[in-house]
Amino acid sequence: MASRPMNDEEVLTEMNKMVAFIKQEALEKAREVRVKADEEFSIEKAKLVKQAQQAINAQYEKKRKGAEVSQKIAHSTLTNKSRLRILHLREQHLQDLFQAAREQLATLASSSQYVQFLQGIIAQGFLQLLEAEVSIHVREADAAAAKDAAAAASNQYTEISGRRVKYELVSSLSPDLAGGIKLVSGNKRITLDNSLDERLRLLEDRMLPEIRYELYGKNENRRFQT
Amino acid sequence: MAGQSQNIQTLLEAEKEAQKLVQQSRQYRTQRLKDAHSEATKEIEDYKAQKEQEFKSYEASHTGNTQSVQATVDKETDAKLRVISQQYEKNKDAVVKKLLDRVILVQPELHRNLEKLEE
Repeated sequence: MASRPMNDEEVLTEMNKMVAFIKQEALEKAREVRVKADEEFSIEKAKLVKQAQQAINAQYEKKRKGAEVSQKIAHSTLTNKSRLRILHLREQHLQDLFQAAREQLATLASSSQYVQFLQGIIAQGFLQLLEAEVSIHVREADAAAAKDAAAAASNQYTEISGRRVKYELVSSLSPDLAGGIKLVSGNKRITLDNSLDERLRLLEDRMLPEIRYELYGKNENRRFQT
Repeated sequence: MAGQSQNIQTLLEAEKEAQKLVQQSRQYRTQRLKDAHSEATKEIEDYKAQKEQEFKSYEASHTGNTQSVQATVDKETDAKLRVISQQYEKNKDAVVKKLLDRVILVQPELHRNLEKLEE
């Protein structure tokens, strides 16, 4: 502390000092602000970029997954189509085969064993019905053969079952059928179709596993084989 | 002491100058924040474009993949179909014969739950 008032020189010096001090403080403050500003710039920019990158990554990840899924679907569809083509062809062949069998069915009626066959199926019919009175329906063409066959069948029936049957022959079956008989009984309420056509139809269904094996070989996809 | 008001003036001016300096630095700060946004946006756009490129090339490679798989599958299937038809031709007559043989095969039997009635 000056103990005497300052002279002009001293005042000037003090003034300059103060002015310089003010300026210096300002410069320092300004510098602080600028340094902080640069820091904040970096932080803010990095934050914005990172946020956006994460969002973009997630978006493209989703797109990629979507593309993968649709590719898998496309492949699966291909495989499915392929399987269907195979199954379709097999089925077609099968139907052709059945058609061939149906066409040859008519030849069975002219074979030498036909009468014996008639006897067999009439007896089989009797044993199925176990009725006392039965009417046997045949084709016009089979009427004669059926007469003999029915008599033998009736005896066979009694031998096997110990029961008797009273029958009548009716020539009612259409000549379009390949052969065989139909039995009607029980006040016309029970019908048993033992015609060649019906027997073939039943076989077509029941023999499918066997036919598959004979035509195309073992099925590799099955876990258990009968 | 007339010089005193002059001195005060000088100090006030110095103060004003000081304020200006600080003010400039504050403007700098504001500008920096704006720069952060605009530079970030640019960088983000570049990144997105890059990602889009990556994705497009991924897609392109996979489309090609699917087509080649389709061709392979079709070829395999055609081969299998030929085999099936061959097998069919080979075996069909035997199967038809089997069917027809079994049509006329008949074994009359009494139902297993029944017994023959004795006279």
